[in-house]
Amino acid sequence: MSIMTYAEGIREGMSIRMRENPNVVLFGEDVGAFGGCFGVSAGMFDEFGPERVRDTPISEGAIIGCAVGAAATGLRPIAELMFCDFLTVGMDQLVNQAAKMRYMFGGKINMPMVVRMPAGAGSGAAAQHSQSLEAWCTHIPGLKVVYPSTAEDALGLMLSAIDDDNPVIFFEGKLLYGMKSEVSSKEPIPLGKGKIVREGGDVSIITYGRQVFDAAKAADLLAKDGIEAEIIDLRSLYPLDKALIEQSIAKTHKAIVLTEEVKRGGYGGEISATIAEEFFDSLDAPVARIGALNTPVPFAPVLEQYYMPNEMDVVAAAKNMF
Amino acid sequence: MASIGIIANPASGKDIRRLVSYATTIDNNEKINICQRIVLAAQSLGVKEVFFMPDTFMIGCAVLDNLENDGVLKASISMLDFEIDASMQDTVTAAAMLEEKRVSCAIVLGGDGTSRAAAKRLQEVPMLSVSTGTNNVYPVLMEGTVAGVAAAVVASMEDPRACCIRDKRIEVYVNDTLRDIALVDAVVSDDFFAGARAIWDPDRIQRIVVTRCHPATIGFSAVAGAYTIVRDTDEYGYALRFGPGGARVIASIAAGVLTEMEIAEAQRLPLDEPYTFTADRRCMIALDGEREVPVAAGETVTLRVRRNGPWRVLPRRAIEEAQRRGMFRRS
Amino acid sequence: MEISNELMKDIYLQMRRIRDFEGTAAKLFADGEVPGFVHLYMGEEAIAPAVCACLRDDDFITSTHRGHGHIIAKGGDLNLMMAELLGRETGYCKGKGGSMHIADRDKGILGANGIVGAGHCISTGAGLSIKLRKTDQVCVCFFGDGSTNQGTFHEALNMASIWKLPIIFVCENNHYGISMSQARHQAIKDVSDRAAAYNMPGVSVDGNDPLAVYEAAFEAVARARAGKGPTLIECKTYRQHGHFEGDPATYKPKEEQAAWMEKDPLPRFAKFLEDNGVMTAKEIETVDAQVAQQIKDAIEFAKAQPIPSPESAVVDVYSDIVEEVRVR
Repeated sequence: MSIMTYAEGIREGMSIRMRENPNVVLFGEDVGAFGGCFGVSAGMFDEFGPERVRDTPISEGAIIGCAVGAAATGLRPIAELMFCDFLTVGMDQLVNQAAKMRYMFGGKINMPMVVRMPAGAGSGAAAQHSQSLEAWCTHIPGLKVVYPSTAEDALGLMLSAIDDDNPVIFFEGKLLYGMKSEVSSKEPIPLGKGKIVREGGDVSIITYGRQVFDAAKAADLLAKDGIEAEIIDLRSLYPLDKALIEQSIAKTHKAIVLTEEVKRGGYGGEISATIAEEFFDSLDAPVARIGALNTPVPFAPVLEQYYMPNEMDVVAAAKNMF
Repeated sequence: MASIGIIANPASGKDIRRLVSYATTIDNNEKINICQRIVLAAQSLGVKEVFFMPDTFMIGCAVLDNLENDGVLKASISMLDFEIDASMQDTVTAAAMLEEKRVSCAIVLGGDGTSRAAAKRLQEVPMLSVSTGTNNVYPVLMEGTVAGVAAAVVASMEDPRACCIRDKRIEVYVNDTLRDIALVDAVVSDDFFAGARAIWDPDRIQRIVVTRCHPATIGFSAVAGAYTIVRDTDEYGYALRFGPGGARVIASIAAGVLTEMEIAEAQRLPLDEPYTFTADRRCMIALDGEREVPVAAGETVTLRVRRNGPWRVLPRRAIEEAQRRGMFRRS
Repeated sequence: MEISNELMKDIYLQMRRIRDFEGTAAKLFADGEVPGFVHLYMGEEAIAPAVCACLRDDDFITSTHRGHGHIIAKGGDLNLMMAELLGRETGYCKGKGGSMHIADRDKGILGANGIVGAGHCISTGAGLSIKLRKTDQVCVCFFGDGSTNQGTFHEALNMASIWKLPIIFVCENNHYGISMSQARHQAIKDVSDRAAAYNMPGVSVDGNDPLAVYEAAFEAVARARAGKGPTLIECKTYRQHGHFEGDPATYKPKEEQAAWMEKDPLPRFAKFLEDNGVMTAKEIETVDAQVAQQIKDAIEFAKAQPIPSPESAVVDVYSDIVEEVRVR
């Protein structure tokens, strides 16, 4: 067992596979000697060298496209986008190429690539460096999407993402990078498996990424009022662990879906709709959906904090159900 | 009224020699820029009318638009009126029209190949060849402004031929029929198709005939130049046959490429004397660097150096003469 | 450059196969047997066969929406192509891709592509993969003049150049981006001019002459295999048909079309082969007849293939997940 930061978990996951397989490579803007904009790949340049930990020009289309071509011809690339907001620039390569090639080609090509991208607000980085764009990716058939919240999950999901023969979008909560947690296992964590991070019998809070910690704060507050919340950390957004959600709701009969995305059109809506469609009979109350405001991410701290959901929104939503 | 013509070849300087050697690239927008400098300089020294060859990139139209837009155009610019073919034929057609219009000077922008095409029709009108091509023995690498000055000077002279040289050229006959001409060199190679047109493989070269040669140039004529120097003023050319048994020379056959070649036979070729051989296998005659004339086995080839090429402007001599005559003095 | 008679014959054969395949595709489309869009390579047949004659089976190509010619030249199977055009279960892509998405990983064909300019970036990945796996493979990236106005062109050529990737960028300049003539869609005439901005050699060749294309491609492939980096080859050609079948192409001046039809690569190369004693008229006829038969066989094969089951739509999205079927 060891204590690692979230960033170290990601780095250790990449490094384990790079030590085992020369065809696993990392490239992106400033991932080399600079160590990545958030320091995630710090030290990897020294260990693996400039060929395999490769700086790219500021060319998001070519970064993702390069991963596509490399994955189609024998490598298992990990491409880093400095911010998930920059996905807009490389969207064609992800959506029309990476995601669709296997299908368009009748299943006759593998696309073993990982695209890493930091997401989320809270750092005062304003509207173009703070978004949560996971719904754009979950919307596209052909992509798998993961969003870990702890070092161990980041490590284990990274191993599985690299091992996967499909493109995996690896969202990283940028406020989580420095957060330390226990790593008791360095084994792969299968994609599509969520976990219960807190058990409770009264209400299910379904969430992922940094909101897992908001949910925990909310659960503490609710507990003082005698409401026991169960927290599901989805970890994988697609494939989605519906069985775990079903099981939890069968017990609590109440569901709160908490994500940091702009609420309109977010993946939280998809989860909520799935619960309503498939597990309606288990519900005692309408699904509560909590997200950010339907605005761009504002800059000033007071505005940004107002924009983001927090534990008080969860507490209010939960109390409203009783 | 002083008028000049400009033939700017939009296709020059793009061929395979960028790949097999380190040849210069001059993009077409730079050609527009060069033409602008020519026009600006020429109009400042009295040229009133400029005719452009029409081309697929519309270089002349761009010059007209840009200079008008900038409010600096004084001369009248017009395009020669003919349907373009997007081939070397356009240069030939334009040269014929400039000859017919008796413009004072024809400026030809391109490489050796472009000058060769223009020289097929320019007989009386003095030709000023400016390099925007590849190997460029014939055209001179010079600033467009200076070219414009030289053209204007020539246009102002009553005796422009004093500043020109009547060039030699090579006439190429196959079975006694005149097939084409060259200004600098005719190279017989083992190829039998035009392909990418340029020649670059020394192992495939059989013979060469030159009107002039100098080791300070590049191209296959430089091989002859490494052996002996023949000047544009000399009343003879030279013929070499390559193969074992003779002198070995090293020469710059392409940009950045120096190669050793072995000369089996070399002979001075007095003007008008035929150099004749019968092809023992199919081959290709490259004229001024470009594969042009296919020859079948058994056909008889005659190459003849004659002094009936174009009147080539010697820009430095012309400008110096103008200076002597006070053309640049202002009261 | 030495080009053997055998190689010339093979290039002619491939040109003829493409021409006939495209003619047939046009007819099948007009007859309503091919769904969707079909973009034909007619008029550009001198390019892919000459370029692919310089390649090995394990070399890669990226292609375009106008990809039939590239796929045939790189060794694609006519039967499987035709079956895919007709949307059959046993077509190249099990009826999931169609004309614009044919790929054959075993032949190094990384797919035709419906997005103009997408292949540029994919080729950089293939190039990087070759470099890191330390093989002497190369990747040819085919694209049109229209795609050179996409940002991907700049991103990819820059990346290929700084990393010295073994890529040959082959621009098939057919002088149109859909309906927009080159003179209207870009401020240059020679796409090869752009190579200088990326510190790589750029050449323009007659794209309707397979021997000119072959000479340039041969040199560029040798350069790439030797680790000397990428090359941009511009092949000047002409799209004889509209952008897609059904496009009346009224934007093309009649005189321009007629002038280019005079330079049609097929009769021109056939005449060259005959004039130079590479093939007799009779041999050319025989090849033409063989190809006609191959195409006939391909149609027969394709039409005999099963239509895919509707439920097969849910497989092949992922390697390990079958999506939900529609419940009616």
